[in-house]
Amino acid sequence: MRDFCELIVSVGEGGGIYALAALAYLLVLRPTGIVNFAIGELATLGAFVGVAALAWAKLPYMVGLPLVVFTVGLISLLTERLTVHRLIARNAPVLSPVLVLLAMLTIYRQAGASIFGTANLFSPPPFGFSRIAIGPFAGASQSFLIIAVTAVVFAAAWLFFERTIWGKAFEAIAIDRFAAALMGINLSVAIMLSFAAGGAVAGLAGLLQSPLTSASYLMGFPIAIKGFTALMIGGVGRVEGALVGALLLSLTEKLVLRYAPIPASYALAVPFLLLILFLILKPRGLLAAGEVRE
Amino acid sequence: MRRALRAAAPWLVAAAALVALALVLRGYHADIYRKMLVTATLALSFNYLFGVAKQLAFSHVSFFGLGAYGVTILGVMQHWPMAPAILATLVVAVVLSLAVAIPTTRLEGFYLGLATFAVAQLFTIALRQGGDFTGGPDGLHGYAAPTLFGIELSGRRYTIVIIAVLIATFAVLRNLELSYFGRACRAVGDNSRAAAAMGIDVARTRILVFVVTSTLAAVAGMVYAFLDNYVNPNVFDFDLMFLIFFMTIVGGSGRQSGVLLGVVVLTLLSESLSEVVGSHSVLIYGVIVVIAILFWPSGLIGLVDVVRARLGWGARAP
Repeated sequence: MRDFCELIVSVGEGGGIYALAALAYLLVLRPTGIVNFAIGELATLGAFVGVAALAWAKLPYMVGLPLVVFTVGLISLLTERLTVHRLIARNAPVLSPVLVLLAMLTIYRQAGASIFGTANLFSPPPFGFSRIAIGPFAGASQSFLIIAVTAVVFAAAWLFFERTIWGKAFEAIAIDRFAAALMGINLSVAIMLSFAAGGAVAGLAGLLQSPLTSASYLMGFPIAIKGFTALMIGGVGRVEGALVGALLLSLTEKLVLRYAPIPASYALAVPFLLLILFLILKPRGLLAAGEVRE
Repeated sequence: MRRALRAAAPWLVAAAALVALALVLRGYHADIYRKMLVTATLALSFNYLFGVAKQLAFSHVSFFGLGAYGVTILGVMQHWPMAPAILATLVVAVVLSLAVAIPTTRLEGFYLGLATFAVAQLFTIALRQGGDFTGGPDGLHGYAAPTLFGIELSGRRYTIVIIAVLIATFAVLRNLELSYFGRACRAVGDNSRAAAAMGIDVARTRILVFVVTSTLAAVAGMVYAFLDNYVNPNVFDFDLMFLIFFMTIVGGSGRQSGVLLGVVVLTLLSESLSEVVGSHSVLIYGVIVVIAILFWPSGLIGLVDVVRARLGWGARAP
């Protein structure tokens, strides 16, 4: 039983990071139809800014965390203004923004490696290396922090999309961008903000992940691929999809690692197999998009 | 006879020029040259798949790797003669590319990109876990140069083989492009619904072009296997994919002359850049690609067209 409860905590920890990455994709994908391949690299930048703010400048966490969210959000916003926006304005082929973001991925990664080096950097966990037990659920303090932050972010995202006029405007763009534009929604501003929000959430994911694995210029790759797999499992239609998909992916990974009779190195293949299966067999994911309500 | 000679003339000139360069270059420069020719062979088939048929397939380097590993495992480790080893590798490449293409080519745009990306990652995981069969994470190295029909192919003789495969790949793709199938590929890539309305079998075209170009990538991979007599899982990973992807976009995707220009320019650029800025050259690469997508949507070859038109040389329509 205790074993099982610890498993639940570790599923929540892994799932939280994947869910934030999935949400970062979703925030850009819904209004624009663009997969931002650079999400993993934005997470890396979040971890790097976190190292600079928390470990080097010794800022308190309550200052460092907003600083990371703001900085990475701003980087993503500037990227959108300088590249994606120009392509959309020019009516370039649909794939062009995706390709330009692929090139931006390389730029982020190499710029990060140039500034912060290629070694693993220590990122201090805000509550140290203490362990926490809440009833039968025990785990590292960082695991509980990840679970709590993920819960808060998803609650906020859900409230934004379901309960505010701005959220409805984003949803309207996702359903029909031309009709939305006719209704007076400023597409350009909405897309800019969606990139900023996607970058901010990705940066947050990187910051939360970095104390577990240390910050390095290669840390974004697994975050990127698992976040997208989570999104494909859950479905790109709704915010809840990202969370459900992430928890399912994390659970599958942990169960395979613990119980399946295969070497741990083969367990690396699990997210890729799931990604292929879901893309081919269930491209809309488990939770379909909400129908347009009367 | 005369007409045949006239048709063959440009090919013979190109081959002669490439061979002449191979004879002139020495040492380090010869190494770079040979590597560039193999990269060009790979980039040509990628350009057909991505630039003409508009399929964003990240598994292309995996088939390149499959060719390299296949011919090394069968022809060197299992001591098969070269000719059957090459044939068997080709068969494996066709079968595996069919197995990948049939389910994944139904996906469009970046969804195809993600599915093939997952396939590519599974391939490198398999290479790293292959034990003695694939050499694991260290790969296979230090094996002897191949002998084909009793001739040992090493040094300059091997460069001739590389040039022959490059020109053959170019010729195959050129003929493909001018055929009914080539026009069908372009139509499906540009607008699959319109193509279907014209009576083109979209699903079959997408699968076929994937299989043909992936098999050509495997052929390029076989050539790569004896370039340095060294195959390693890291070579066939994402960095190489990005490299040929960048070369295609910067040169001008969808045109063979464009992608060749991209390969030459970016190879020379990275050679001269890495002398000046070291490992930052990849960063500069990224910036150049962004600039290319934003400001020269038709690539460097598009700029060449503009210059030719200005000079009144009658630029060819793309």
